[in-house]
Amino acid sequence: MLKIDNKADIFHYRTLMAILTFSMLLLVGRYFHLQIIEHERFFSKSQVNRVKAKASYAPRGLIVDRNGVVIVENSPTYILTVTPYEMKNIEDQFDKISSIISVPIEEIERRYKKYYRGRFLPTVIAKNLSFAQISQIEEMKLDFPGVQYERFDERLYNTELNDMHILGYLRELDRETIPTLDKSSLYRAGELIGWQGVEREYEKELRYSKGVNYIEVDTYGREIENLNSNNIPAYPGKNLVLTIDSELQKFSRNLLEGKKGSIIVSKVNSGEILSIVSSPSYNLSIFRGETSSKEWEELIESEDKPILNRNISGLYPPGSSFKIVTAINLIEKGLLDPEDNLMCAGSYTPQGSSNTFNCWKEDGHGLVNLRKAISESCNVYFYETVQLIKLNEWISTAKKFGFNQLTEIDLPNEIVGLIPDKEFFIDTYGRWGWSERGVLLNMTLGQGDILVTPLQSLRYINHIASKGKNTAKLKINLNKPTEFYEPINLSEQTWVRLYDGLYDVVNSDGGSGWRARQIKTGITLYGKTSTAENPHGEPHAWFNGFFDLNGEKYSLVVMVENGGGGGAVASPIAGELVNFISSNIEFLAKK
Amino acid sequence: MIYGSINNDLQKLYLIVASLLVFGLVTLFSISSDPFSFNSSFSRQIIFILFSLFIFFLLKAVDIKAIHDNSITIYLISIFVCFIPFFMPPVENTSRWIDLGLFYIQPAEYLKCATVIAIAKYLSNNQLAVKDMSTVIVPVLIASLSAFIVLNQPDLGTSVIILVPVLPMLLWAGVNNFTIFLMIIPFITIIAASNDLAFNIWAFLMFVMFMLFQGKLLNRILLYFANIFAGLLFPFFWNNFLNGYQRQRFLDFLNPDLDPMGSSYHIIQSITAIGSGGLFGKGWGQGTQTQLKFLPVQESDFILSVIAEEFGFLGISLIMFLFFMLIKTLLDIAFRCSDYFSSLVIVGLTSILFSHIFINSAMTIGLMPVKGLPTPFVSAGGSFMLLCFVILSLVSNFSKN
Repeated sequence: MLKIDNKADIFHYRTLMAILTFSMLLLVGRYFHLQIIEHERFFSKSQVNRVKAKASYAPRGLIVDRNGVVIVENSPTYILTVTPYEMKNIEDQFDKISSIISVPIEEIERRYKKYYRGRFLPTVIAKNLSFAQISQIEEMKLDFPGVQYERFDERLYNTELNDMHILGYLRELDRETIPTLDKSSLYRAGELIGWQGVEREYEKELRYSKGVNYIEVDTYGREIENLNSNNIPAYPGKNLVLTIDSELQKFSRNLLEGKKGSIIVSKVNSGEILSIVSSPSYNLSIFRGETSSKEWEELIESEDKPILNRNISGLYPPGSSFKIVTAINLIEKGLLDPEDNLMCAGSYTPQGSSNTFNCWKEDGHGLVNLRKAISESCNVYFYETVQLIKLNEWISTAKKFGFNQLTEIDLPNEIVGLIPDKEFFIDTYGRWGWSERGVLLNMTLGQGDILVTPLQSLRYINHIASKGKNTAKLKINLNKPTEFYEPINLSEQTWVRLYDGLYDVVNSDGGSGWRARQIKTGITLYGKTSTAENPHGEPHAWFNGFFDLNGEKYSLVVMVENGGGGGAVASPIAGELVNFISSNIEFLAKK
Repeated sequence: MIYGSINNDLQKLYLIVASLLVFGLVTLFSISSDPFSFNSSFSRQIIFILFSLFIFFLLKAVDIKAIHDNSITIYLISIFVCFIPFFMPPVENTSRWIDLGLFYIQPAEYLKCATVIAIAKYLSNNQLAVKDMSTVIVPVLIASLSAFIVLNQPDLGTSVIILVPVLPMLLWAGVNNFTIFLMIIPFITIIAASNDLAFNIWAFLMFVMFMLFQGKLLNRILLYFANIFAGLLFPFFWNNFLNGYQRQRFLDFLNPDLDPMGSSYHIIQSITAIGSGGLFGKGWGQGTQTQLKFLPVQESDFILSVIAEEFGFLGISLIMFLFFMLIKTLLDIAFRCSDYFSSLVIVGLTSILFSHIFINSAMTIGLMPVKGLPTPFVSAGGSFMLLCFVILSLVSNFSKN
């Protein structure tokens, strides 16, 4: 069929046959050598000197607060294993074990079937056993041939501080997940890995380094001796020191008891987070294996979203605190004299429009200058003045303060939020479905499509507190080197005007945040309240503020989800926080 | 001369393959804790074999003239497909597999066949001067391109296997024996140098071979001693001029899949299992090294060690005999088939099978570094089983000429 005849040469055939024969003889010769000549040696080796490599573990690093208070530690629990072929009357043994450890026998049998690996290999049948339960089994050892127990460290959370949103949790690795990990060769199925929060973020540091023990076992796989000479030791993980102050954290948690929302307190100059609370939370003991899937589903489906870390993954309209963004544009560009008075009669109607926009104060604020507009949060003042500003300039100012960007805090799952721009509006409302003037009316109040996380709001207030210079990046690991955000360059005059407004919010009689005022402590608190309208019910109550104390700058964000007015609801909470910080200042100053 | 007909050869071939498959299944049954569950390597192997058989019959229906005429296209498409994994999310940190949802395929396996076909096409068309040294260059380039791509996946084992068929095919095409001989012996010498006994046997064999060639006696003697010298020098160089770190780096390069537990641990476990098997073995399902899971990847890479432990020297000799007969029968077919292109393809495919057999066996007995290469028709594994049947199908198809 094909053109050329086979012209293979018999000599070539013989050459290949010779190579084949030689190679096979070489292999068979080697097998002969091992299996016949050296058989005795290997056979006795296989009988008595079988070395098994077994991974050894060390404890995971602890998590402590800035003062060394232990937040997460390890508690030794025990796992029970059985070696099938050594057992006599499996049913009977399972029955006895079931009554000692009070786990239904069906559960034990289910595990036994699930984890069975072979007649000679230990199979895990129960976890999370206490020392007492193990001692009981140890006492009746003769009744339980083939039953062994091993130590297995579980995480133990400080009951008052089990704040899963920052701590995260550990999870048992399954075979499907391992290939997706960064250093997958270090992990085996069944081992624990940090799955959320700092446990995940600092997995590399917290995790122990695994060792190898070479163990001599007998014909049946029973361990005889640990051959210490070649062992590779396991090393414990490094401890993680958080910037959190436990006392402040507990206090913040109590302030939000029964409410939805978040509280964050930080040191401005170092970016250290002193307290970060997302409410409601839930008990971390849920990850210790005693939770039914029903409880899980309830948690996940709960309307209050306890799983959500509101601080970095919750999105909210920021409300009036964004009036500052408008104010900065006005002063910096010299668009108006901050001393000029505008008239607030309680409502505003743009030129050539039939729509009327109301101020929150129905009777109007009367004559208002910039300082008063900020402190009393007058809407009409900003409705009128925002018309002087270009949309993209306003957006670029908002973005300079870190909105629509990650704060780069060392926690997983942070989201960026939204500062809508022209493209967004065109995509959403069509080319002619919106106007620059119209959207600015909403945006100047921090409403409309703007969405921010509470942590972004904290970064914003930190930029203001440090006058744009040397604003440290937010962090939660105390030993993480301090880095800085891009500086924001504004004229000194702008800062002075802003500070005047923010001072009056808390400290003047008409100020919206007067309930946060520090009469007892004498601290000068600057701040801005927000009452952010939203489609989910009551407005969100916000208070963003900062203050100096003993030469250190502190900042705080309080957000109560659907809580009501920023002045009425968030300000008193902020006041209590500042009060608490000043009375515990010696504690906070440490480190 | 060789007696018999091609049809007899094919029947013999099927019989040998069937025996190997049965041997493999019996062994897999022994090491599966629950052989009848769908996830056991035993059940999976049966499914793989059935699927491969289906492909086998499908491929047999393809006209070989179509393969001959399109061999370059086939080669280029295979090369192209090998690039696809580079643009997909890596599987176990390598770009070897394409994820098809239900299973993975490893395109490099089929590049092996395509490379052989392309080289065969070139050599069978080149009637001008097969003895010319320049004839060597094109096949080497074709194979090197394939090997280079696979090496970057990275998969050292497969890229070596892709290079292997070049030499037997050149030999078959009539390139000067001595040239080929000189191309290959330095590698064997260096490998043999790691073991005194192997080196002595090799030195003797090499001497005999050198003497058998024609040409100036002085040249042959000089080349022979150059080889011996290289062999003697290599261990010396290895031990004295490389420090532990460099040696480890070299070994790590050879074995990127190394388990953190250490590769020598694997070889020791394998040799202990084999040696403890003795003449008759410990019996089916009774191998303590195997059953206690001392042996790593026993269902594929180390399946020969399981056979050696449970069925003894007799069992492993039988397997080796079957492998020998498999390769011999394939060579018979290559020699006897009437068409040159087919003959060359069969020689190339045969050498792929042979290199798998040799490298895998040599690994289990510590003659070669640990490399994850399976054994044809015996090891568990779908992708490679399919390749073996594709080769079988091509052989039976091509032998019809």
